[in-house]
Amino acid sequence: MTNTDENIRKEEGYEVDTATNVRLIKDHEYDGIKELDNDMPSWWVWLFIITIAFSLIYLVRLWVFRADDLLQEKEFQKEMAAAPKANKPVEELAMAWLDDDMSLNNGKETWTKICAVCHLADGGGLVGPNMTDNYWIHGNKVEDLFAVVTNGVIEKGMIPYKDQLSPRQRLEVISYVMLRLHGTTPATPKEPQGELYE
Amino acid sequence: MELQKFAYDNRLVRMFMYATILWGLVGMLVGLTVALELIFPHMSASIPWLSFGRLRPLHTNAVIFAFVGNGIFTAVYYSTPRLLKTPMYSELLGKIHFWGWQLIIVSAALTLPFGYTVGKEYAELEWPIDLAITIIWVVFGLNLIMTMVNRRTKHIYVAIWFYIATFVTVAVLHVVNSINFPVSFLKSYPVYAGVQDALVQWWYGHNAVAFFLTTPYLGLMYYFIPKAANRPVYSYRLSIIHFWALIFLYIWAGPHHLLYSSLPDWAQALGVVFSVMLIAPSWGGMINGLLTLRGAWDKVREDPVLKMFVVGVTAYGMSTFEGPMLSLKSVNALSHFTDWTIAHVHIGALGWNGMLTFGMLYWLWPRLFNVKLYSRGLANAHFWLSTTGMLFFAIPLYFAGFTQSLMWKEFTEEGFLKYPNFIETVVQILPMYYIRALGGTLYITGILLMIYNLVKTTQAGKFIPFEEDQAPALHVQHHGSDKGHRVIESKPVLFTVLSLVAILIGGIVEFVPMFMVKSNVPTIASVKPYTPLELQGRDIYLREGCYLCHSQMVRPFRSEVERYGDYTKAGETVYDHPFQFGSKRTGPDLAREGVKTSPVYKPASWHYNHFLDPQRVVAQSIMPPYPWLIKNDLDISTTPKKIRVMQKLGVPYPEGYDQKANDELMKQAREIAGTLRQSGIEVSENKEVIALIAYIMRLGVDIHENNSLGQK
Repeated sequence: MTNTDENIRKEEGYEVDTATNVRLIKDHEYDGIKELDNDMPSWWVWLFIITIAFSLIYLVRLWVFRADDLLQEKEFQKEMAAAPKANKPVEELAMAWLDDDMSLNNGKETWTKICAVCHLADGGGLVGPNMTDNYWIHGNKVEDLFAVVTNGVIEKGMIPYKDQLSPRQRLEVISYVMLRLHGTTPATPKEPQGELYE
Repeated sequence: MELQKFAYDNRLVRMFMYATILWGLVGMLVGLTVALELIFPHMSASIPWLSFGRLRPLHTNAVIFAFVGNGIFTAVYYSTPRLLKTPMYSELLGKIHFWGWQLIIVSAALTLPFGYTVGKEYAELEWPIDLAITIIWVVFGLNLIMTMVNRRTKHIYVAIWFYIATFVTVAVLHVVNSINFPVSFLKSYPVYAGVQDALVQWWYGHNAVAFFLTTPYLGLMYYFIPKAANRPVYSYRLSIIHFWALIFLYIWAGPHHLLYSSLPDWAQALGVVFSVMLIAPSWGGMINGLLTLRGAWDKVREDPVLKMFVVGVTAYGMSTFEGPMLSLKSVNALSHFTDWTIAHVHIGALGWNGMLTFGMLYWLWPRLFNVKLYSRGLANAHFWLSTTGMLFFAIPLYFAGFTQSLMWKEFTEEGFLKYPNFIETVVQILPMYYIRALGGTLYITGILLMIYNLVKTTQAGKFIPFEEDQAPALHVQHHGSDKGHRVIESKPVLFTVLSLVAILIGGIVEFVPMFMVKSNVPTIASVKPYTPLELQGRDIYLREGCYLCHSQMVRPFRSEVERYGDYTKAGETVYDHPFQFGSKRTGPDLAREGVKTSPVYKPASWHYNHFLDPQRVVAQSIMPPYPWLIKNDLDISTTPKKIRVMQKLGVPYPEGYDQKANDELMKQAREIAGTLRQSGIEVSENKEVIALIAYIMRLGVDIHENNSLGQK
């Protein structure tokens, strides 16, 4: 900046901030704090305008056009319709204990994740019955156990798992119960419930 | 013009500074404690008042209202007199304000850990304390406004605009959200219920962030950044636009806390768009803060005060961009109920509020004690500890939130939930909780360094109780000499009224239809009031702060319907004073916990075992045990009064039911105790756990009972 510029500005009655070469607003001083005469950055103004435009479009889409993606009931129905529920494979499973290692390991995983919450990890029972002894409330055949897991025994607090576990997973977990847990000695066994099956 | 002499009183500023540091340390130590309790659930050693649900409200209240609150008052009591060239209006009002506020904080610390709570986040304090807050807030406002009336400068500076907006809005928010009907000295029920209560609460909660954590700190920024940098403010015009835009738009944005809840779509949409429109007004503040430093960047490299201001304002810019993004429905579907929210708020609290507070303290201390800061090196170390602490806090939680949300939503090819057991998703993110606790520890270490540094500075200096200044008296104003915004800058009372109008509009537009138009909360005939035992159980649920880790709001997503059961309808919560939607799922949602056909159903004996020892049934659970529920007798002397208050609030118990309530309560309690006995659990029917089990097993069942009746 040349001296002449400075003189002209002084004559017009305003000061200039020497570090940024921007005009200071006249008579704006508060405890020594002054204010510069900068405009709002144009990108900022545009940002503001764009968000306002976005908002108007958004509200018009909802209130005038009832757009599906803004109505959560519609959104939900759409999501449920697209869900592969019908594709849940109806696997033809032979009702027989699965004794291969892979099935039993999968069964153990399901047991630990889900069943242990009521029957404890070692099968000793807590809220649900002890799975290690020879007493069974609803029978001890593979079909019996499969039915209990599938449909639950809700009056005793056992919920159905047909919507949470696939048929194979159900078979795997009851196989784990019968072939691995049954006959072991848990830390705190629950007293026998049901009838004795030898 | 004759110069008048006067003096600024630094003594009150000093008291507020001390209180800021004390409560900051306390609030953050409690925060670290609850962070550690999430990793070590047995840390609370079965002491009720140390449990997570009781301490978490203490942490949030202490940091917001005690640490930041005293920080606000430090800034206001220091900057206002200097900006207006007059001492604060009344020393007495100032002292009442100071001691009143500290007393409120102490009473919060003496009630929240003992379970006295309304059960609404950040508005937990019970009604006598709410009343005290109102009185003290008016004392503060009166002192502020009368100081403006007494001023010797013609116009009021932008910092003061923000102080004014803070005063009027916090007053409105606090009064409207805290209308509770007392049951006893430390127990009350909000007059609003369910989704209406949720709307009012999040209008309050969101704007507590806006007008307690943001606007006063913008005022602080507008004073201390130009002062510390010795630079003029970047743009006066930007100040005007972003101030009015910010306070007008902010008040509408509350519903973004309730996206995909049972709040009607129109209200959710307002929450979305007003949050998006807030980006620019928020960034206006950031720009004006950062660009004020143009021409002083060389100083920023060396001066710890300016460094803290820069990081603080940058954190503000980050979280005010992130906030609107989190308000988009698609992002919110992912982020809500996860640790993402926790990360987001801590960028604001640790970055924006913390850093600005520390910068202000380091700047003020040498001036008030007339001595150089004891150690610039220690202040720089504090700066680095805070910055890295904040990053170690937030980044793992972003990762945790993202990870857990994706796990909640993942399906197998066969169409089953990949992680049906909630605990798997918790175990996955536990390592992140360790790192977060480390981040918090770093941050607190920084504060300890600051305290040492400031104590040393104090010892070396001599406190200046009064600072002399002089200015000409303010003469009768020449009308017409001001144009545009300058006119209201010279009329502080008018300015206050205009701010009030600006912040009332949004709330009114949202509340009136929500309360007046019936279709916003469609009635469900089968939804009935809680039984007396369930009502008592619900109060235990509130007392233990269960809502801080468990939501009661199944969102309309396939992943949630499969995991929990039917999504929550507005009509189901009409008797919930207060609503209990929750905002975080550290544990699973409980909205359908009582529904026998839901995938989350558990029998009474399970709940009993789980309250006594959560790890016995869920080995990796991070829930603390609640043995005192099994030991404590349920206080049923309050039942008739509670029923009567509920009746006054519109809950349709039959006439005279209050007198029969305890008979029915005991009958239901005996039934539950009987069920437990059948499962081999011997527990007397008059224990608290019975009431809590009754409440939990009632959750979500009403609309399902209707279905089964229909099938008969």
